[in-house]
Amino acid sequence: MAKKQRKKEEWENNMVETKSAADRIVDVIVYFCVALVAFCSVIPMWHVLMSSFSDGKSLLAHVGLVLWPVGGFTLDGYSLIFQNASIVGGYVNTIIYTVSFTVIGFLLAAVTGYALSRDTKLKKPVTMALMITMLFGGGMVPTYMVIRALGWVGTPWALVIPGCTNSMYCIMMMNAFNSIPKEMYEASHIDGAGHLSTLFEITLPQAMNMGSVIILNLVIGQWNSWLPASIYVPNKKALWPLQLVIRQITSENADFLNSSNPNYSRYLIQFAVIIAAIAPIIIAFPFFQDKMEKGVIQGGVKG
Amino acid sequence: MAKKNSYDLAASSRRSWKTELKRDWMVYLLFLPIILYEVILHYLPMFGIVMAFQDYNVTDGYFHSPWVGMKHFVDLFSGEDFLQAIRNTVVIGVLRATIGFVAPIIFALMLSLINSKKFKRTAQTMSYLPNFVAAVIVCSLFTQFLAKDGPLTLLLTRVFGAENQNWFANDKAPVFWIIYLLMGIWQGIGWGSIMYVAAISQVSGDLHEAAALDGATRMQRMFKITLPSILPMILMMFVINVGTALAAGYDNILLLYMPSTYNVADTVYTYTYRQAFGAGNSNYSLSAASGLFQSVVSTILLVGSNALSRKAAGSSLF
Repeated sequence: MAKKQRKKEEWENNMVETKSAADRIVDVIVYFCVALVAFCSVIPMWHVLMSSFSDGKSLLAHVGLVLWPVGGFTLDGYSLIFQNASIVGGYVNTIIYTVSFTVIGFLLAAVTGYALSRDTKLKKPVTMALMITMLFGGGMVPTYMVIRALGWVGTPWALVIPGCTNSMYCIMMMNAFNSIPKEMYEASHIDGAGHLSTLFEITLPQAMNMGSVIILNLVIGQWNSWLPASIYVPNKKALWPLQLVIRQITSENADFLNSSNPNYSRYLIQFAVIIAAIAPIIIAFPFFQDKMEKGVIQGGVKG
Repeated sequence: MAKKNSYDLAASSRRSWKTELKRDWMVYLLFLPIILYEVILHYLPMFGIVMAFQDYNVTDGYFHSPWVGMKHFVDLFSGEDFLQAIRNTVVIGVLRATIGFVAPIIFALMLSLINSKKFKRTAQTMSYLPNFVAAVIVCSLFTQFLAKDGPLTLLLTRVFGAENQNWFANDKAPVFWIIYLLMGIWQGIGWGSIMYVAAISQVSGDLHEAAALDGATRMQRMFKITLPSILPMILMMFVINVGTALAAGYDNILLLYMPSTYNVADTVYTYTYRQAFGAGNSNYSLSAASGLFQSVVSTILLVGSNALSRKAAGSSLF
């Protein structure tokens, strides 16, 4: 493998030597376009980051992109978000929802995947039932009515249980369990382990390659989610996840720009809260980038 | 592996339910959570669709609300709003399934032309960022950037002489569609290119080497070797894209549109949402009818495109 890689590199280096003029023009265009895409991908977040460090009053007067803190470096925006009860509450809610959503969803997918990978009479019908839900759904309102009947409207359950797993995750886990050698299951059985300990102590650790991809998708999905909350807890601000709080703050800020006596501190808050919401994902990103990429390549999972 | 499985299945199907449950009751118990979950959260709502044919109200429930037959569907298709929503859905869906679909492929092909590994990797990593930014944040950023005096608006004004305006308040035909398309591309171009980059890296280096020795330029090799090698995958992805075009990707509109731009920005999805959960609205039955229409059309699209994929590319989603 390494040898092949080296050979390829060598060959690529040779190509650099024999570049024609047309090749050079192509090179310039390609490098420019790729750099442009990369630049456009990060510049809006850079703008927000630098705005969050700016001085509120100067920032308000500033027009155009903020590439460097305007009017001196301050952390006022960040100290303000800690004083804002709804932001702190939203942050705590998001953490609680994300943890419970991920734990419940992953356990459900793992248990189902294990059950589906065993030789049972339910394997075929349950797989079929899971496939059907990928094809057809009841839709927004009928689902709302079921959740209403369960008494979950206006409670965190409506945000944590529905959507915590899906057919794709279950089937991905089934494939992961299927790819573990059969001898593993037999040995565990001979040692007297029941299905539960075979699942959790012996095979699940080996299925964690796929498992961690699912966990990452669950975490990011729930961390960024806002729609279920807007349907199920629209009037209970104490239950709002961070994303709904952000939505309210940023849209209020649009109004505040129109008012005659603006409160400058409020202007910084919207940038600081966006950074606070996205920081955990960005900081963790280098650690999970490879895993997520592999997940996309293997299973066509959209992150 | 497949053979082993079919043998195993035969083993369980030969035994009676009684012996099976006695032998393996624990596995059957492990099926219980997902069965409950699926029945309650996915299959009950499917039966709940009957409300689209009722004048559903919460106090009477499914059993006592009056039946009205196709009334809501007649209402939907005789009013202008819903037809307009269908048109916008089709336009946005087609734009996303064509231009939005091609963008990550072009990006992947460009990445394949870059020799510097470090530059390529850095650019890729940077391009992933928008995929992980929450929808609420993406939409608020775009709203800011395209507002009057926003950075992007100013750029458009200075470079193209466009009028300085709030672009999201513009209700002229292609404006919102183009913005929404570009927003989708911005979010997905990096992350969507991963599969193509991986596929391109699988293309045999020997082929390129041989072609290069025969005097093929890099562009020629890209169009004659790289592109044809990943074509089956592109085809399959395209079919999947078409199949899911109606089902996903319209929720961000809820964060961007306003009553004055419904004529260009309203889609079947947002219409369904608004009728049930919009401010002051609770036309549950009308919303269910609109949702049912969307479900049926997207199921047909998905099944149809899947069959097409099986025929054309030899591989399918299910």
